[in-house]
Amino acid sequence: MKKLLSLSLAAALSVSLLAGCGGGGGTAETDNPPANTSFQPAGEAGELSGEITFWHSFTQGARMEAIQAAADQFMADNPGVTINIETMAWGDFNTKWNAGITTGDLPDISTAQNTGEVVEMLNAGVLVPMDSTIDAIGRDLFSENALADMSMDGATYGIPYYSHAQVMWYRTDLLEQAGLEVPTTWDEFYDAAVALTNPDEGLYGCAVSCSPNDLLCTRYLNYYVRSGGGSLLNDDLTANLTSDLAIEGINYWVNMYKNCSPAETINYTVNDHATLYYQGTTAFDFNSGFQISGVESNRPDLLDYISCAPLPKMNEDDPYYSAEATHIPLVTWANSEHPEICQAFIEYLYQTDNYLDFLAAVPVGMLPSIKGIDQNEEYLSNPTVQQFSDEAAIITQAVEEGTAIGFEHGPSAQAGLLTSQGVIEEMFQDIITNGTDVETAAKAAEDELNEIFATMVA
Amino acid sequence: MKIPKRTLRSGGIQGSRATRWIFVGPAMLVVICLLIYPLLSTLMYSFTNKTMIRNDFDVVGLQNYIDILTDGDFYSAFGHTLLWTLFSVLGQLIVGFIGALALNRVQNKVAKNLFRIFAIIPWAFPAIATAMTWKWLLNGIHGFVPTLLRDLGITPELIQFLSDKNLVLPTLIFINIWFGAPLIMVNVYAALQTIPQDQYEAAQIDGASSWQSFRYVTAPHIRTVVGLLVVLRTVWVFNNFDIIYMITGGGPAGASTTMPIFIYDTGWTGRLVGKASAASILLLLFLVILCVLYFTVINRWEKEDK
Repeated sequence: MKKLLSLSLAAALSVSLLAGCGGGGGTAETDNPPANTSFQPAGEAGELSGEITFWHSFTQGARMEAIQAAADQFMADNPGVTINIETMAWGDFNTKWNAGITTGDLPDISTAQNTGEVVEMLNAGVLVPMDSTIDAIGRDLFSENALADMSMDGATYGIPYYSHAQVMWYRTDLLEQAGLEVPTTWDEFYDAAVALTNPDEGLYGCAVSCSPNDLLCTRYLNYYVRSGGGSLLNDDLTANLTSDLAIEGINYWVNMYKNCSPAETINYTVNDHATLYYQGTTAFDFNSGFQISGVESNRPDLLDYISCAPLPKMNEDDPYYSAEATHIPLVTWANSEHPEICQAFIEYLYQTDNYLDFLAAVPVGMLPSIKGIDQNEEYLSNPTVQQFSDEAAIITQAVEEGTAIGFEHGPSAQAGLLTSQGVIEEMFQDIITNGTDVETAAKAAEDELNEIFATMVA
Repeated sequence: MKIPKRTLRSGGIQGSRATRWIFVGPAMLVVICLLIYPLLSTLMYSFTNKTMIRNDFDVVGLQNYIDILTDGDFYSAFGHTLLWTLFSVLGQLIVGFIGALALNRVQNKVAKNLFRIFAIIPWAFPAIATAMTWKWLLNGIHGFVPTLLRDLGITPELIQFLSDKNLVLPTLIFINIWFGAPLIMVNVYAALQTIPQDQYEAAQIDGASSWQSFRYVTAPHIRTVVGLLVVLRTVWVFNNFDIIYMITGGGPAGASTTMPIFIYDTGWTGRLVGKASAASILLLLFLVILCVLYFTVINRWEKEDK
């Protein structure tokens, strides 16, 4: 009986934990002039004293080191201040702050994956307005769109740290060998992807990745729907996956998967997916300027053969559109006991030298969110910025004219949930794997999303 | 030697009430923090509409249980868990048992120790290394195994071990057998070492065949150990999360979603803590029933042995 009891308790522990379970050094630079001279350098900001925690998701070496160096210098300038930095992957970050709402384990400052996540945080009531910080840096230096995406009831709750946008990446050598032009419409894109697909040589036109733990199907469907003037959300912020345009888009990407994508990508997340392009397995991909550093580290020999273009349109003569722009924000948490340190440190991060050091970690991948930086001599002297200046211009235009997925209706928690719940990805998996009828699957996914919206949105 | 009660009360360690609590306290604290609290909070949340992103919640009675029990995905995940557990444990038992019997017959001590060390290697790897290695080996684009099978002409094209809904669960079960069999092997081998050699000699003199020696000498000696291993492996495999999640994430289209992944997706991706808690409690009830059945059998064996 004792064994029975102890094993039962062990089983209980294992099961109950399932429901309940769910931070480098560097050198410093000094005397950075501020990006905007209207605010005082943090080192002179007065007697700051206290400890803050900064969660960020810049897990790659160079970005992490740039942040750490800035924090180290800030602490050296302000001996009474301690900044504890914890680094975590984007996905883990979302999980951690969600859990932190219950446990109280939340930071003072953090990054957010995108403006959509800021709205999710606002929905949870965990942020404080950052208008004084924005005004100190210079409100007019930021994109109005970016600030609007993180504003609610007249207050702004996030500051864009860097920006990027989705564009179409292609391999110039492969197009040239096949005698193809850079596609400008979805039909041309499909034909080119089919023409370049050759599994025997390990080459695929375009990967369609469907892991519900990521947002790629939502992203791809959103491109298509936005190019036709539609949206994945209705005006009343309910989901819209059953419009003619959405159904057409789902069919388009399912066909793309079947004819141009490796079957394996049915379970791929963003990183697995992007690696296919980095390594030369796919001819086309959709991403931001991060493709450059990815290719550089995986296949530097291909760096001269990659380029990007605006997203394909429905028809050649359709007006320009941008389907998805992302501003990676910094936010301040409501539980912070030292908002003055948070503000001073964030201002410090935006000082020109610190900011340029950070942007140089992934040139063109991280585009400046502050106007004028892209004209800075040091910024322009970066070899990658010089080599990919045309691509940077294409991405910059997409940044300026785009919003986060679903934000064409303004900031909403629904838009964030659209990308974070994996419902559209599950729908694609269902259609592809089980052969479920597209209309049926789309209706089921739409209903599921609307149920989630009703449950989760305050 | 019997110690007089007076001595115990008059000043020995057992005589002090405070000392008793000091010794028992840490263990109780661990049990309360790691077992009682999570269990009770899971039970409590299972009757609420608690979500991950809001602190406030309402009591909803049995609604979460009703939602779970009318959810097709729950039954699909439960079915996958049964298949995953049954075939994993059975496979581990068969492979581990055969390995132990083979090891027991090896006479060379050096060879025996080397074999034992190599066989236990899968257990030395962290789950992430195991998952990433198999994911790389079985990759359907340029993985070693699919490419080899195609190049040898065994399959006409690259076989999709991890993205074909009919292959993914058997593939994961195979990986789990590879991972878990060594534990069974080492334990069964240790049990085999305890069997008195003269019983085999007596069986031989009586004219027993190899099968009869196994049936009437080996099996009775090791069945309790094997029974306990089966219970432990069943609970562990049933609750296994990391390998499946890291290799397939439960996909494609839920084809490898087991109960722990279903609960994780509900609680963390869906952020529905109440519903995830209800699913956890249902899983707990099932495992408790399973443990009762197992231990009833093992207790009977132990009584027979006495």
